[in-house]
Amino acid sequence: MATMAEKSSSRLAVDVNKVSFSYNRLKALNELSLLVPTGISFGLLGPNGAGKTTLIRLLVGLLKPKSGNVLILGQKPSRRIAHLLGYMPQLHSLYNELSITQNVDFFARVYRMHNRSERARRVEEVIRLVDLWSRRKDSVVKLSGGMRQRVSLACAIVHNPPLLLLDEPTVGLDPELRVTFWAYFTALTRQGTTIIISSHSMDDAAHCDQLAFMREGEVIAVGTPHELQQATGQPGASLESAFLYFIHREDSSHV
Amino acid sequence: MSSQALTIAGRIVRQIVRDRRTIALIMVVPIVVMTLIGLSFPQSNMLDNIAPALLATLALFFSFLLTGISFLRERSQGTLERLMASPVSRLDIVVGYLCGFFIFALTQTLIVLFFTIYVLDVTFHGDLWQIFVFQVVIIAGAVNLGIFTSTFARNEFQMIQFIPLIILPQIFLGGMLWPVEQMPDYLQWLARILPLTYAVEGLRDIMLDGKNLLDVGLQLSVLVGFAIVISVVTAITLRRGSIS
Repeated sequence: MATMAEKSSSRLAVDVNKVSFSYNRLKALNELSLLVPTGISFGLLGPNGAGKTTLIRLLVGLLKPKSGNVLILGQKPSRRIAHLLGYMPQLHSLYNELSITQNVDFFARVYRMHNRSERARRVEEVIRLVDLWSRRKDSVVKLSGGMRQRVSLACAIVHNPPLLLLDEPTVGLDPELRVTFWAYFTALTRQGTTIIISSHSMDDAAHCDQLAFMREGEVIAVGTPHELQQATGQPGASLESAFLYFIHREDSSHV
Repeated sequence: MSSQALTIAGRIVRQIVRDRRTIALIMVVPIVVMTLIGLSFPQSNMLDNIAPALLATLALFFSFLLTGISFLRERSQGTLERLMASPVSRLDIVVGYLCGFFIFALTQTLIVLFFTIYVLDVTFHGDLWQIFVFQVVIIAGAVNLGIFTSTFARNEFQMIQFIPLIILPQIFLGGMLWPVEQMPDYLQWLARILPLTYAVEGLRDIMLDGKNLLDVGLQLSVLVGFAIVISVVTAITLRRGSIS
């Protein structure tokens, strides 16, 4: 029997409740809470060491929280719901000797796309989507960094997951590719996919439907880019200055 | 074998086959090593005596090395992390890797075996197929040992340190250079927990004394047991939530 609370939490892509995590003695997340509704692009913004990657790995289920709860689409992260997630790690994480097609096809199989013709069709579709069809037979070693990044994205989305977790997908991309990537992401959210993206670039932040500013393992502000800019009280403030505003506010409240 | 394990095994085979230089080295290195060993023995009957121990040791060494380094690369490249985030079970991962690497470890071992018998012309008793079956069991354990050991290495340098730690004591204590019975008690006890000791004993019994697989049942079961235990332990250490 689903209670009201469960029903409402299943409308959430991600429900993180007071989660703490530490690597040995290094504290990475400090009682962090976060709600992400479905069907939007959600940005985790913050400097290196803010805990973005740790949070994503907790959501994927690669790490277990030391305390607190994580719910993904209303369920605890486990292998049972792994097929609902698409994960793009920070490293390219591809098999260098294999071709683009072989890499994408491998992950399609791993994500249980057993039907051969359906799989072949979908593999072609995502490789075309990232605009690498003409290079499909090339080994990953022969590709540039930006191309590898695109193959990595193709591997993450090949099984059509309702929730995508992308760890710094735009790092090292030239401005043109960044625009292309955001065009993919917007198209995906329009189809109902939820996308969680970590980044330390304010260019990415402006594209997100919602943002969480992170620092030292904590979320210091959540809202739409517009709301966060408005909160500074200065009309036309950039997201950078909004971020700095929240950092200062946080610091002075601790004193 | 599940289709997921088969997918992983197939991917490993494709990966190694597409890397021409690696595949060439896998074939050439055992031949070069065996030629040097063959040339370094002045009398051929000396080689006959040491051949079983040599076959066992090289099977262990080549398989361990190939698997340990390859699996470590999966870790450092982040592909293992991606696989761990997927719906594949850890048993499928271990079985998939075992089967994939097994094919190449077996190729190397067969090259060593045939080179020893047909080129170095080592005389042996016992059936060739029984020697072969025994070798297969040694490789299965060694491949898993490679995967397991790479769990404790964070980078290639650390993995290289494990090679002398895992391989050399087995060579010295496993009865290849001198009989286990001539060593002090506590070393004999240590030798009794090393898989190579059983591998050397079993192959010696088959090749020198013409015994069959039933006669070396004890050694064979210890090696099978070792392979099973180490794969279960590897599957357990590979759990989700443990990646760092």
